[in-house]
Amino acid sequence: MNFFRRLRYLFRRHLTEAEMAEEMRYHLEQRAAELATDGLPADEARSAAQRKFGNLARIQEQAREARGWRWLENFAHDLRLGARSLLKSPGFSLLAIVTLGLGIGANTSMFSVLNGVMLKPLPYAHLPQLDRLYRATPQNAEGNISPADFREFQQAKDGYGDAAAYTPESVSLAERGHPAEMAASARATANLFSLLGVQPQLGRDFRPGEDTPGRDRVVLLSQRTWQKRFAGSPEVVGRSVRIDGEPHVVIGVLPLSFNDWRFLGGVDFFRPLALTPEQARDRTSPSIRLIARRAATVAPEDADRFVAAFGARLAKEFPAVHAETHWRRVTLQSMAAGPGAAMVLPLLIGLSGFVLLIACSNLANLLLARTMARAREFAVRAALGASRLQLLRPLIAESLLLALAGGVLALFVAYWFRDWAALRSTGDNGEHVDFVVDWAVMTWTFGASLATALAFGLAPALFALRLDLNATLKSGGRGTVGGRGHQRFRQFLIIGQFALAMVLLAGAGLFIRGLDDLNKRRSGWESRQLVTGTVALPAGTYGDAEKIAAFQRLALERLGALPGVASVCLSSFTPAFVWPEIRKFVVEGQDRPVAGREPAAVVNRVSPQYFASYDTRVFSGRAFTERDTAGSTRVFILNQAAARGLFGDQNPIGRRLAPADGDNLRWGEVVGVVTDAQPAVTDANPLVFQIYLPMAQEPQRQFQLTVRAANVAPAALVDGVRGAMAELDPDLPVSRLQPADATIHRASYQDRVLRDMLAAFGLLGLALASLGIYGVIARTMAQRTGEFAIRLALGASVRDIIRLVLGSGVRLALLGAGVGLLGAIGVTRLLVAAYPNLPTNSPLVLGATTLALVAVALLACWLPARRAGKIDAISALRAE
Amino acid sequence: MTDKSELFPGTLDMLILRVLSRGELHGWGITNKLEQLSQSALQVDEGSLYPSLYRMEDKGWIEAEWRMTENNRRAKYYSLTRAGRKQLEHEQELWARMNTIIGLVMQST
Repeated sequence: MNFFRRLRYLFRRHLTEAEMAEEMRYHLEQRAAELATDGLPADEARSAAQRKFGNLARIQEQAREARGWRWLENFAHDLRLGARSLLKSPGFSLLAIVTLGLGIGANTSMFSVLNGVMLKPLPYAHLPQLDRLYRATPQNAEGNISPADFREFQQAKDGYGDAAAYTPESVSLAERGHPAEMAASARATANLFSLLGVQPQLGRDFRPGEDTPGRDRVVLLSQRTWQKRFAGSPEVVGRSVRIDGEPHVVIGVLPLSFNDWRFLGGVDFFRPLALTPEQARDRTSPSIRLIARRAATVAPEDADRFVAAFGARLAKEFPAVHAETHWRRVTLQSMAAGPGAAMVLPLLIGLSGFVLLIACSNLANLLLARTMARAREFAVRAALGASRLQLLRPLIAESLLLALAGGVLALFVAYWFRDWAALRSTGDNGEHVDFVVDWAVMTWTFGASLATALAFGLAPALFALRLDLNATLKSGGRGTVGGRGHQRFRQFLIIGQFALAMVLLAGAGLFIRGLDDLNKRRSGWESRQLVTGTVALPAGTYGDAEKIAAFQRLALERLGALPGVASVCLSSFTPAFVWPEIRKFVVEGQDRPVAGREPAAVVNRVSPQYFASYDTRVFSGRAFTERDTAGSTRVFILNQAAARGLFGDQNPIGRRLAPADGDNLRWGEVVGVVTDAQPAVTDANPLVFQIYLPMAQEPQRQFQLTVRAANVAPAALVDGVRGAMAELDPDLPVSRLQPADATIHRASYQDRVLRDMLAAFGLLGLALASLGIYGVIARTMAQRTGEFAIRLALGASVRDIIRLVLGSGVRLALLGAGVGLLGAIGVTRLLVAAYPNLPTNSPLVLGATTLALVAVALLACWLPARRAGKIDAISALRAE
Repeated sequence: MTDKSELFPGTLDMLILRVLSRGELHGWGITNKLEQLSQSALQVDEGSLYPSLYRMEDKGWIEAEWRMTENNRRAKYYSLTRAGRKQLEHEQELWARMNTIIGLVMQST
């Protein structure tokens, strides 16, 4: 009741005020009328009544006080006062707001990433029950499973719930009137979408049984493909498109929400996963990704146990394939962010927290200085009987105003960051990485700014309240030097700032340096003169190995004849990236290890000119030639690591190897040894054994095309290559056909985004920390003018004074850097864990960072210290 | 004008409640009634009357309503609420007790 009445009063104040005035006016009139009946003239009666009534305004003021929320009004009053006092010192206010805005802005931006990547739920029903299951191998904790494994799981799944599978593929998509394009497709079991709880926006879902060969010529488009390729036309359902040359019927369009970049958002369209009986028996090629939905009755721990037991059973039953593997379960939501995110995001959040901390201690320093400058005012007010609360209130109001303004600025920073990130993180397939500034982000921003402003605004205020009144008043109003406690507190803040800045700078420096090193460290190959592209021959047109081999021979011939081309090669993978295909090998004449535990190597099928094109040195033996064909002896080329690992000091040339496929070993001869190829990526590459096979002996439909330019820029060759390929097969798209360096650059864009963020944090931290030390030294200068004047008068030189001031600042910076060095080493550890392949051990970077920090501190101290030269000893002393 | 008798602090609320317990009145009416009941010994200061009224309204002891007076003017009429009635009883009791105590002390010889 009471509460609402007051609230009403607060909001309908004008109305209530009017009522109050009317009521009192009535009173006055009645009184006047009464006096008039006593015989007084009207105007005299009125003024007599007024006299009797007293000061109307004062009464109303008292009445007002009796109602409403006095404290709330006071608070509004405090805010007004605070605003006025902040406006009176615009320099301080601007500095505080910008500091707070940048600190919170950096933090908010990182929170929006966390929000977008990890916190926002994927758009699927029953999300908490959805899991990804992995078959972890020693090389890959997130390994996929084979079709036979999937069938095995299908039969066992009743203890778990339901399961669906999908497998991504690159295909060519063509319709009448359009050139063929490479598209990212995925084959999925017919129940995938119902398992995820996703319904097509248009048309229908796959029907049960459509994932069998012969009935699988249907396709579900993603919203993006529908808009991009079919202009969002609703008539697309029922249309026929050609995928890899085969006609397929469009049966539906998936909803926009399915475009979520974190999972399957990059897929252009889905086809049913129809396995022939022969394919379904395949236990060796891990091509299938498994999604399972736990039944509501199965607890997560039971699910873990079930999955582990299932993996153990497979390992026992099929040791040759599964011996070194185990199965594990990860919730779909947690895998959505990607494996690196779990490591990198907390790192980023933590570092942005450091930036915020620096900003906060700056703010604390600023406010402390401001409060100390008003110490006398506080002392006087306290002496006159102001309560603690009354002293605190204006300070709280100022902090709140600063927080609000800082929060608004932080939101601007967050919006700007969102656009920056969106620009830089558009996926390979046009899917947008979207960091929405939503309510969660807003709440974070204002929560953080309120918390920091209050915590760091109040701390100095509380300090001020502990002032010794007597001392302050006695010190004659210049009691602003502050006690030892204040000094120490502020020095502590500066040291902390520099320590944090050191961590930020060192982290950024190490990462930048690491990425740079990585580019330099890639070895065993050369890409400057190369054009690369990806080709996927449709299975319909190129049904068997012979047809593929024939096409490849023809392509090599045609491309090699183009003007400006030095050499051409085809390969499964390029040396720029990690080769995902792992095989196990048996060496002739050596004891064969237990099945499933043979030495493993990454393999690459290459055409004869591969080593020449990539400038990879052949150490001994020979490269592949045109005579290594399907009909000739099987041959292998090893890298040095494999040669040493498999054969020790013996000469490997002429020795025989075989892929460990059961008992029916197909031996091949080692004909050459080449340099190790070190890829240019930050991913872990645990396998150093590299084994090459002739492409002609194992032709593959999907391959990389590499053209080496003779004496022209590689970009100039692109059109010629595309034309030559189109002549060979007009339905065949070559994707990402561009200079190899462009592809490599594109692949590392995420690392560069991270690098830019870290660099921004580092610079921001450094800027804030130097602002902080500048402020402190400038204040010291102002406060100690008298002291310096005496020193000068006693014969000290200006130089001595400057040295004195600089020394105190640099000591703080050095101390901070020292403490920060420890933190930097911790950050390095984290980076190493997240990027095992990144060279991060660089004392040089740490040394340079320390130097930079001290240099900046020197500069920040020198600017105010310079003023020592301008001290006029006489007038300064006279002013005392 | 007559001399003002100072009220004991805190008694104005009780007096207003008492006056209102006989029926609703506007502010002017309350002043009049108090003067009349005290045979002009009490002169209520408007500066205390209105804050007191608003305070009691806030506390929910009295409630107000705008109505027309006999001579057709708008005026704010106050009346006791149930809580107000209770409060009045409470204060009357307190007052009586206080009176007795003070009387006892003052009359002792």
